[in-house]
Amino acid sequence: MRNLLGTLLIGLTLGSVYSLMALALVLVWRSTRVVNFAQAGQAIVTTYIAYEIVTRTGVFWLAVLFAVAAGALIGAGVEYFLMRTLFRHVDEGPVAALAPVIATLGLLGVIRSIVGMIWGNDFRSFYSPVSTDNFVLAGETIPFSRLNLLIILATVVVMIIFSIIFQRTDLGLSLRAAAFQPEIARLAGIRVGPIRTLGWVFAGVAGAIAGVLVTPTTILSPNSLDLLLVFGFVAAVIGGLESLPGAVLGGLVLGLGVSIVLNYVGTSLVFPSIFVVLIISLIVRPNGLLGNKKVRSA
Amino acid sequence: MHKLSTKKALIAFVIFGWILVIVADRVDELRVYQGATIAITTLSIASIILLTGYSGQVSLGHGAFLAFGAYAAALAQTYWQSPFWFTLLVAVMVSAAFGFILGFAAGRLSGPYLAGTTLALAVGLPTLANQFSFLGGETGLVYDAGLPPARFGEEFTLYKWFFWIAVFVVLIAMFLLRNLLNSRFGRTWKSLRANPTAAALCGVNVAQSKVMAFTISAGVAGLSGALLGMISIVAPSAFPLSLSFTIITGAILAGVTSLLGSMLGAVVLVVIPEIADVISHQLGDSEKVVTNLPGFIISVLLILTVLFSPNGPAEAMRKRREQHAKH
Repeated sequence: MRNLLGTLLIGLTLGSVYSLMALALVLVWRSTRVVNFAQAGQAIVTTYIAYEIVTRTGVFWLAVLFAVAAGALIGAGVEYFLMRTLFRHVDEGPVAALAPVIATLGLLGVIRSIVGMIWGNDFRSFYSPVSTDNFVLAGETIPFSRLNLLIILATVVVMIIFSIIFQRTDLGLSLRAAAFQPEIARLAGIRVGPIRTLGWVFAGVAGAIAGVLVTPTTILSPNSLDLLLVFGFVAAVIGGLESLPGAVLGGLVLGLGVSIVLNYVGTSLVFPSIFVVLIISLIVRPNGLLGNKKVRSA
Repeated sequence: MHKLSTKKALIAFVIFGWILVIVADRVDELRVYQGATIAITTLSIASIILLTGYSGQVSLGHGAFLAFGAYAAALAQTYWQSPFWFTLLVAVMVSAAFGFILGFAAGRLSGPYLAGTTLALAVGLPTLANQFSFLGGETGLVYDAGLPPARFGEEFTLYKWFFWIAVFVVLIAMFLLRNLLNSRFGRTWKSLRANPTAAALCGVNVAQSKVMAFTISAGVAGLSGALLGMISIVAPSAFPLSLSFTIITGAILAGVTSLLGSMLGAVVLVVIPEIADVISHQLGDSEKVVTNLPGFIISVLLILTVLFSPNGPAEAMRKRREQHAKH
């Protein structure tokens, strides 16, 4: 029973972070039809910024604030300078369809090497803002700390804010319209360009929060978020790359799955099982749990 | 473009190999080692050219297939004491088998899905080496081609021996690849990339051809991985994510549709760290810069190529020639 509760709680914590990363990928995918592999790079920059602020001032909330602002700025910058140039230049030829994917890959490489040049490639530890001691429940320790609680709560708050923006505001309506039918949205008077940039801004924010939340549980290095990117991608695919609630659901499903494998099978099989889940979900439910029926194509 | 007949191409390959061997006798050890690296990189770039340039599928994690090949070869040598040529065969077969499995899923995926899946493979694979003790953990496995035969004399160094093997294997593989790409299969793959619907209407089995391209590409990558393991080590650190990035960059730089270009791409990739060395020396040899500058230059080149000459310089030049011809 205790084991089961622990598994659930860990799954929820992992799932929260995966959901945030998945959300970042889905937001960008909806706005520009690009899977942004540079998201891991963007998030690592914001996490290092947060790290600097935490080590200098010791104020975690200030660090989060700066990370979020930096995430938004970087997201906007990448869309405005890289993606727009790309879509203007690349029209035809053998790699036209792959160009955006390859460009984000290149960006990931650039960001990572710049981060390495500034902060070095060695591992650093990012101190947790709250206690990481496990809670004791009725005399028994459960593998769940204040940090895990913070991760879950923060994710829930972010999700609520995002869903209010998307479901209740005009801006959200424009975002959804531009994602669904860019041409028609344009005809309806929505300025699709800035709306696209905004999609990248939101994605940058989600990625930044994911980075800041997950790093205190592990270590910080220029490529420490690569695995998170992969988990986020798998979560996004499980949920259907199109759907925001799907990304959250996919993240939670994946988090629980990983937690079950960790607890009952062992660390060694986490990655193979993730990969099998990814392949199976792509073959069995290519549109994801909550995706629409449209055929998946580039 | 004028294409050589198979017989003439064979002669060209043999002459080229002969020249390489003669040149290798006259340069120092480091250059010989770099020569072997160029040969091996050429082969791994060629595997991407087959996959992306011909069949139109993308793999962001081809380093994983290099790792499959290297580990398979090393395991065959460690646990079965297989002869060296046989370990290379094992590398091709095992890597191709994994390629077949992934290609099976890949046949139903396109663009970003395939990209993400292959990326996930390359990110996750190195973590496995630490989980299973027979893979040797961080230190990896020992894999070598043995000492050079005694009749080559005392002067004949180990690196020269590696170079000979690498060049010999790569030339054979490239010759076979060239013939394959000029055959019916090559044309089928090209038609897939250009227009899958039209290809299907002409009677091409799209899914089957894609899986086949993925399988062969993985096999070629596995072979180059085994050779890479021979000149370096078979350990997770030899197959980082950046290896996959590097191979893609080489392919894109080379112009992803030209097999000949893969050699150019490989030369560029081997020269970049040298240039980076010089630059970081100028900047005062800070360790952070030294380790990260090559990756920085490669990534920037990748972005610039995708932005301004996405189909590679070769394709851009052909376009210009065609435009000239029109006027």
